[in-house]
Amino acid sequence: MDIHITNLLKKYHDKAVVDIDHTQFKSGFIYGITGDNGAGKTTLLKIIAGLERYDAGEILYSGVPLEQGMMKKITYLSQTPYLMRTSVYENIVYPLKIRNIDPMTIEKKAKDIMDELQITELKNQLATQLSGGESQKVALARALVFDPEVLLLDEPTASIDPATIDTIEEAITKRNKQQKMTVIMISHNMDQVKRMCHEIVCMKKGKKISIKE
Amino acid sequence: MDLLKEGLKEALLLLIRFDKEVYSIIGLSIGLSFTSTIFSAIIGIPLGLYLGVKPFKLKKTFTRTIYTMMSLPPVVIGLLVAIFLSRSGPLGTLGLLFTPTAMVIAQMILITPIILGITYNDAKQYGPSISQIGITLGASKFQTLKLLITEMRITLLIALVTGFGRAISEVGAVMIVGGNIKGHTRVMTTYIAMNNSMGNYAMAISMGIVLLLISFIVNSVLYRYVAGE
Repeated sequence: MDIHITNLLKKYHDKAVVDIDHTQFKSGFIYGITGDNGAGKTTLLKIIAGLERYDAGEILYSGVPLEQGMMKKITYLSQTPYLMRTSVYENIVYPLKIRNIDPMTIEKKAKDIMDELQITELKNQLATQLSGGESQKVALARALVFDPEVLLLDEPTASIDPATIDTIEEAITKRNKQQKMTVIMISHNMDQVKRMCHEIVCMKKGKKISIKE
Repeated sequence: MDLLKEGLKEALLLLIRFDKEVYSIIGLSIGLSFTSTIFSAIIGIPLGLYLGVKPFKLKKTFTRTIYTMMSLPPVVIGLLVAIFLSRSGPLGTLGLLFTPTAMVIAQMILITPIILGITYNDAKQYGPSISQIGITLGASKFQTLKLLITEMRITLLIALVTGFGRAISEVGAVMIVGGNIKGHTRVMTTYIAMNNSMGNYAMAISMGIVLLLISFIVNSVLYRYVAGE
């Protein structure tokens, strides 16, 4: 279930912001994407997440074009995620409810993920009143609860305290090891990238310039 | 002060006596404003959500136009509607001038941009983030739309209440297209204007108090809901 990108081109006002000849994100790997601001990292992630259209090229997931219904297996978490104006619990179970999962399974999955991310005590709190770190943990719980095959992270731990960073990193690494979840993560924190990632992709001016293992 | 006291006393008497004319005026005012608000919401809310979320060329120009239309002069709108609906006008054959339908049309023209503008403004600000959540969590287009409406429920309620408030307090346009005909197109605001011009201040004030009371009740309900959220 690899992601193959071929001749991908995305332009803003005639300027190429992503221009990648070929790259592959192998299943079960954690990739770190680094590069200067404006290198096209976020745009690349948003294209894979289906949030941005591209002008040319092809993205295949397990050999099938991304647009053909594979999006439900991929999720994206931004640096400042939007939490719904409801309780933490309702935020977390939303992806399960829209998939018509039975209530017993929903209850169990929600409990497990809240325990894992240490947010059980926030269960009934209004999600929009949480601190930055708590919000990020709730957003991660919501992204992981439906067991996505690919997790796209855009600086998920920027401006967050070290204890929360540890919890988030642990949850991601655990899913990667146990469920072979592919993770593609943008980070400016090189220590974090080295700690978590199997491969590092460097980008500059929209192009992939190197992959370090 | 005496006028106000007298007006308050008169208002209470009118309401307690169950004056048929007064209640029919109040009923017509509420009914017309409610109808125009519903029709305007049917147009303004989906359009505001769609245009707010979707990127398109000339969005800034559209924004400015909508904000300008939110403060359309009622008398001008009344005049234009009256010209269109008058016997010699393009829609004269419909025979709608000086009917409650003409009043609803005039109110709709005035409040649709308000409902559209309030919805559009918040949809532009929060819509993309909400849609993004829907897409990245695997929601269908319908589920994403449902999420958008649920998340923007307070904004939509504010848009509706603001539209209703503008409709029920409107006088210039409904006076021109409705004609203030007793038992037919006379509403609270035209009743107030008429009594004022006739020097019946107590009657005018009494209806003003009823109008304020309706506005207070509607806004209190909204406030309670927003505070509860």
